[in-house]
Amino acid sequence: MTCKLKKMKKLFYYAAFIVVTVSMSCSKLDNYPAPGATLTGSVIDAGLKSTVQTETGGGGTRVKLEEVSWSDNPTPLYFYSMQDGGFNNTKLFAGTNKVSVEGAFVPLVQYDANGTIVADKRQTVQLGNGATNIEFSVEPFLRVEWMSNPVLNADSTITVQVKFTRGTNNPGFQNDVSDVFLYLNTVPYVGNNNYDNRYSRQVSYSGTGGNVLLGQTITLTTTGKLPPKRSYWLRAGARTTYGLKQYNYTDIKTIAVP
Amino acid sequence: MNVIQDNDVFSSNGGIQIYMARLYSELPIEDFRYSPARGLNMFWIISPFSAVTGEALSRDQRNAVTESVLYWGDAYKLIRETNYFIETLPKYAANFDKADVSNWIGEAYFIRAFTYFSLAKRYGGVPVVNSVLQYPTDDVKGLDVPRSSEEKTYDFIAADLDSAISKMGAASQTGRANKYAAAAFKSRAMLYAGSIAKYNQVSLFDDSHNRLCGIPATKAVTYFKAAYDAALLTDGKYSLYKKAWAAGNKEAQYQNYVKLFFDAQSPENILIKGYIYPQSVHGYDAYNVPLQCMGPNGYSSEISPTLDFVEMFDGFPKNADGTFQNLDAGGKYIYYDNTMSPFANAEPRLRATVILPGDVFKGQSIEIRRGIYTGSTAGGISPLIPAGSTIQYPTANIVQSANGSQTAFTLPNGTKMNPAGTSGTFFSEETNAQTGFSIRKYLDETLDKSQVKENYEDQSWIEIRYAEVLLNRAEAAYELYAAGQTGVNYLQDTYTDINQIRERAGADLLAGAAALNDIKIIRNERRKELGFENKTWWDLKRWRTIDKEQNNVLYRVLMPFYVAENGKYFFDVRKDEKNRFYTFDPKWYYEQIPTDEITKSKSLKQNPGY
Repeated sequence: MTCKLKKMKKLFYYAAFIVVTVSMSCSKLDNYPAPGATLTGSVIDAGLKSTVQTETGGGGTRVKLEEVSWSDNPTPLYFYSMQDGGFNNTKLFAGTNKVSVEGAFVPLVQYDANGTIVADKRQTVQLGNGATNIEFSVEPFLRVEWMSNPVLNADSTITVQVKFTRGTNNPGFQNDVSDVFLYLNTVPYVGNNNYDNRYSRQVSYSGTGGNVLLGQTITLTTTGKLPPKRSYWLRAGARTTYGLKQYNYTDIKTIAVP
Repeated sequence: MNVIQDNDVFSSNGGIQIYMARLYSELPIEDFRYSPARGLNMFWIISPFSAVTGEALSRDQRNAVTESVLYWGDAYKLIRETNYFIETLPKYAANFDKADVSNWIGEAYFIRAFTYFSLAKRYGGVPVVNSVLQYPTDDVKGLDVPRSSEEKTYDFIAADLDSAISKMGAASQTGRANKYAAAAFKSRAMLYAGSIAKYNQVSLFDDSHNRLCGIPATKAVTYFKAAYDAALLTDGKYSLYKKAWAAGNKEAQYQNYVKLFFDAQSPENILIKGYIYPQSVHGYDAYNVPLQCMGPNGYSSEISPTLDFVEMFDGFPKNADGTFQNLDAGGKYIYYDNTMSPFANAEPRLRATVILPGDVFKGQSIEIRRGIYTGSTAGGISPLIPAGSTIQYPTANIVQSANGSQTAFTLPNGTKMNPAGTSGTFFSEETNAQTGFSIRKYLDETLDKSQVKENYEDQSWIEIRYAEVLLNRAEAAYELYAAGQTGVNYLQDTYTDINQIRERAGADLLAGAAALNDIKIIRNERRKELGFENKTWWDLKRWRTIDKEQNNVLYRVLMPFYVAENGKYFFDVRKDEKNRFYTFDPKWYYEQIPTDEITKSKSLKQNPGY
């Protein structure tokens, strides 16, 4: 009996020793410096010289970093732009990066049918400690503009007037306009990623039906009956059938419903 | 190192049988045990695939999604096993009959093609590995295989299937492929490739000019022709199941369509995945029977078919635009004697696919009713809510039930009636026929109520049936006709194919080949025939139409109401009131390659938008 117990005790000590050793070996100090480089900038409409409005997250503009300091073919790092078209990342490693942006505008890198790069507007940037600012001048697929301030109707809906026009003269990127969307939300973050689908209004076009409305003032009214005594944030988006079918946007307007 | 060596496996028919059993068990068949939320071979199927496509609504799958379990690593495991088999078996060929060896190698090619197709339909071009990669090795770079172009991936699948067709025999054990199964599968794979060449708009190149996403449009005709030719190979080898079918007899046609999914000797079955209780089971019935047939452990009613799906079928009153007719010319509800009245002449295939309100299942009428209308009928009843509205029904003049514990309503004649049917529809609780319909296809009518439990069901899954091959053929033929191809009268071929399907279904026949003036006719036929068979999502994706169909959409439901004053029923057609909006993100046409695979590899390029 005692013998057996002793053996078990021994085993326990061995086991405990192993556990301690293994866990100690995990606690090696990370002595690398923290990422200290900052990249800020914005995506600018080449024609209007204003930023290209977008949504945050997967459906909007994102910044692509290819760190070429150590490899010609690196796995890219992405981060998303803010909804006003600006971007800011304060936790990047220093190094040489090819930077580009992807979104609802004519791509910076274009290929022909054989996969040969025919246009490349990526910018090579040396990220050091401290901030680097970078601007991209792009041609949005569509420019969406307010033509009036939002108006509250007697039936607790909101009516707006907007206009969309082509942002590029390149016929290869003038796909059909597929829909226009009036987004409404109860917070200042609004877009296709974030809207109240009980009140937002989408108008879809088939084929070339949307193209004839280019440059015309379009009136859109929210759906449903808006609850009173709060503020709403509104934004219009429109898109074409190109690629991932992302939206171009107006900026955001707010209206208080008494 | 291994306890069981090649010598043991490749020396007897039994050893080969075991190797094959493993390969088939790993075959990525999206069957009763698949859902986009939980992947393949998962017993818990409460997020049904059909509630992603618009075929149905479900309490547990409430929006458009792409797959959250990404099929990648398991694919390359299976591909390695087929490569190993193809390389090793010839060394032991002396142990076996020559024809057997050829047949087995052909089977391995089929399995490899099936696996590559499962990858290609998700990701586009993928790394093509056609030999056993050796590791550990000094040549680590050689293990990092880059993606092939989407075109080359489909060409590789076609070549493997051609090898399978030429090497395999005409007959096979149930659950295993033969040369005609390979041909049938080739018609599916090539139809996908042709559709992508024709309809895809997304492009992704790597640095070596390989088009990883997208196929040149000029290749569409080549692939449609390959699909058509492959379908022809099965001609005369299989036929539509019509054992219990009788011309002009809708009841027989209905019974026939139900039996088609249960007859092990069906001449329509090309490749099935078998189950057997208790070793290999699923829970399809437990999750999907209507509420009143619920088994002892709960569940039921996961799949409620939408009115949008039902309206594709024939045999009930419709408006000019094809929608269900519930209002008379004056805009008042039409009265019916009972909930089955409008469906008295419904297409038999519809009844065999969807349980209509009041239809008989397991010897009982499936009672589906939304509520009782208690108001006056003078001058007719106007729609309860405005057309297209998503608001709740008004409480005036209507009694409803929140859930299954109902308070009976006393009718004017003194009898009592529960506001909602035994199988729904309740306005709050969601385990019931939420759309006014319940799923019928594949449900086992002979399964006793006490056995309707998870992991008790063992009906076979039919992965490839002849009806699909006919539809592949019809669609490929129509695409060839639309592309101006001549030589064969492709339009006439499409017409005969579609009418064969419709005749068996008991649907209205096409008047003539000239009636085929829109590809939607062929596509809708496919959606009806293959509905709830886990094929529709892939079809909507390869047609590149799902992002237009699911663009902030609410699906529609059919709500039967009993009228207390006259003892009749009326039907309200409305949008789903539970805010289940569906929006398909266009980037899902090419799924995300698992990020850990991207990080591991120096040459693997991610799909656009991820």
